[in-house]
Amino acid sequence: MKRIALLLVCVWLALAGVRAVPALTAAALTIDLQGDPATLDPGKQYDTNSYDVYRNIYDNLLRRNPATSAIEGEVATAWKAVSPTVWRFTIRKGLTFQDGTPLTAADAAWSITRILDRQFNSPQYGNFNTITSATATDPQTLTIETARPYPVLLAQLVNLSIVSAKYVQAHDEPDVAAHPMGSGAYRLVTWLRGDHVTLAANPRFWRGRPRIDEVTFRAVPEDATRVADLQSGRAQLALGLTSDDAATIKANPKLQLLSGPTERVAYLAFNTLGDSPLRDARVREAVVDAIDTRALAQSLLGGYAQPVREFLTSAHVGYDKAIAGYKYDPAASKRLLAEAGHAGGLTLVFTTSPTYDQRIVQALQGQLAQAGINVKIQSYDFGTYLQKIQSPQHDWGDLRFGQWSCACLDADGVIYPLFHTGSIWSSFSDPAFDRAVDAARSTLDAAARSQNYAAALQVLQKDIPGLPLWQVIALYGADRGLRWRPTPDEQLFVFDMTLGG
Amino acid sequence: MTRFIAVRLLQAVIVLWGVSTLVFAISRLSGDPVALMVPQGTPPDVMARMRHTLGLDLPVYEQYGRFLWGLLRGDLGTSYVQDAPALRLVLQRLPYTAELGVAAFGLALAAGVPLGVAAGIGRGGWVDRAALPFMLIGQAMPSFWTGLLLILVVSVDWRLLPSSGSGSLATLILPAVTLAWLSLATIARMSRAAVLEELDKDYVRTARAKGVAPRRVILRHVLRNAALPIVTVATLDIANLLGGVVTTESIFAWPGIGRLALEAIQSRDYTVVQAVVLVGTAVFVLASVVTDVLYGVIDPRIELGDVSA
Repeated sequence: MKRIALLLVCVWLALAGVRAVPALTAAALTIDLQGDPATLDPGKQYDTNSYDVYRNIYDNLLRRNPATSAIEGEVATAWKAVSPTVWRFTIRKGLTFQDGTPLTAADAAWSITRILDRQFNSPQYGNFNTITSATATDPQTLTIETARPYPVLLAQLVNLSIVSAKYVQAHDEPDVAAHPMGSGAYRLVTWLRGDHVTLAANPRFWRGRPRIDEVTFRAVPEDATRVADLQSGRAQLALGLTSDDAATIKANPKLQLLSGPTERVAYLAFNTLGDSPLRDARVREAVVDAIDTRALAQSLLGGYAQPVREFLTSAHVGYDKAIAGYKYDPAASKRLLAEAGHAGGLTLVFTTSPTYDQRIVQALQGQLAQAGINVKIQSYDFGTYLQKIQSPQHDWGDLRFGQWSCACLDADGVIYPLFHTGSIWSSFSDPAFDRAVDAARSTLDAAARSQNYAAALQVLQKDIPGLPLWQVIALYGADRGLRWRPTPDEQLFVFDMTLGG
Repeated sequence: MTRFIAVRLLQAVIVLWGVSTLVFAISRLSGDPVALMVPQGTPPDVMARMRHTLGLDLPVYEQYGRFLWGLLRGDLGTSYVQDAPALRLVLQRLPYTAELGVAAFGLALAAGVPLGVAAGIGRGGWVDRAALPFMLIGQAMPSFWTGLLLILVVSVDWRLLPSSGSGSLATLILPAVTLAWLSLATIARMSRAAVLEELDKDYVRTARAKGVAPRRVILRHVLRNAALPIVTVATLDIANLLGGVVTTESIFAWPGIGRLALEAIQSRDYTVVQAVVLVGTAVFVLASVVTDVLYGVIDPRIELGDVSA
């Protein structure tokens, strides 16, 4: 037995010996993410863990002002639509990549071209496929042509990180994914897959030297552990906290709760095309009348949710403040059910997935039960759930809960995919709605777009293909010494943070 | 002995094939990985194109054929999400799980056996009475609960050890204790039972009658004979450990294959799920072969080689 124990100790020492211990410096920040980045190649992934890290290594063509959400220049300094389908961007002078080579319009053009290359298989292809060509007219001018007038182009280019054409062409794909090289505020130091990514400040960053010298992103999947990391001082910022964690964070004098409204909107969608009682608009209205959104936001989510009247937030292009929304009216709900022939009660199937907050799903079930609507919850793993609700047969059930963000703050990225006839997410069809959103997406005229979206939102208000619930508020736990303001587009830009005092 | 090992290894290959086929079938029943990879609102033709590039639009039997052919060549496919060979991803993470597993198993043996033996020898005494609730609690507490409790007390309240992460001895202690807890209780209970059984046997009475020192009776005679069931239970517990690493690694943000498996399942990264299960099965099957060989070493009366009997 002694010998076995000795052997086990030796094996363990051998294993432990080959591993490096991450070093921390004085001006260092540790951030707990929910998971490990899938890749650090900006063309290859779209998951938030990847984006949170690589956004600090790369500069984007455009960005949103952290305070106002207005689109402003980053790599580009100016832009102009020279015709409804041709855009010119002036590239900032004097930018260099972290390897010392200059950043020019050719790099910006290549960053788009590689995403459009079908062989490259970029998950972001769908965001950019209206672009037909991106070329460098001269070292400082990028010309983008689109297949049709494309009003959301600028909003999509906010998410475009600029890679070095020379670097990505000289290295194979896994190499670019593992060793990112951009022009951003930080450069990669180490990436231990599944554990942490460490970045160091880029002293030659064009906006000045970052105030935080080193930042380590750790992958901590367990919610309770991220909170414990904050409490024990192992991390200074933790993402993906829930309203339940908020009280723990607030009770600790060394910690602070940072919160910010996001562009994610929580909603209920109804199956109006399948074999469902919700084909009847009166039954849809009865469901909507039976739900007390304000109570859910207050009691269930601790007030960390902002009830909305439409599927957009006030920051979205296309938002219409004239939309009335719906009022909680259980009496009207009962009356409508009786009118629709369901006086004796009604059973609806709520299709969902554990990915969504099941407390919300169950609370909705509870509220509907009080109105005499019996809700049967059917939960599938997320992959199966998507397959079901995206099936063209519309046989997925009667209602579902979701949270939508297009990361573009534009109605085109929200109500078009959710409710346009034939969209994989849509179980609704209305010619007037389709006409309005089609018109709004094919003109650059801002006034005409607003008018069309107002008309489209009126159709949704009247026909009720779903119920907009609330604007999601993102919760972050942080050390008291960290100064940072979360932004609606949920960009984790370490350059904007300071530590100390 | 050589023939015995050869036959056992051949059986292992059959087990691995069976397990891989099962995992292949189950993962194909659980939705579309492409739907989870692209931003919301991606047009269906873009998704179809991605499915085609990843070979996910092929008939299942053809996917299975490719999978088996790859398996024969040691190629477990490419991760859809990370765009890297699945086996390499697993092997990169395996040393962490091995470190945690070995530490936990060592701890469970080093504490569980003496505890069980002491409880068995002093049956009904204070050690036995103190150890019994300890063993029961160990077996009853799920590891996610033990782990969070340890983090709250040791890391947050006492600030003695880091709450999560890897890379040093300090970060290993809490996850190893969490993972060892269940096995420790099982091994201690088995050791206690095995010692009790042996203590009643004639040879013990004979040894005592001969005047052999009590310590020698326990160490040379009783323990030697009680070792067989203890080794059996301890080896079977390796399967529990492999299962336990999934939750333990997630709680402590430990970058091993348990967490990789969880992440891969969540993103429907089939190839990585298959690779983790295959590697895990291989470890378990190998551990069983080693146990069978150990039987022969511990008890010379057991002859290896006659596996057909």
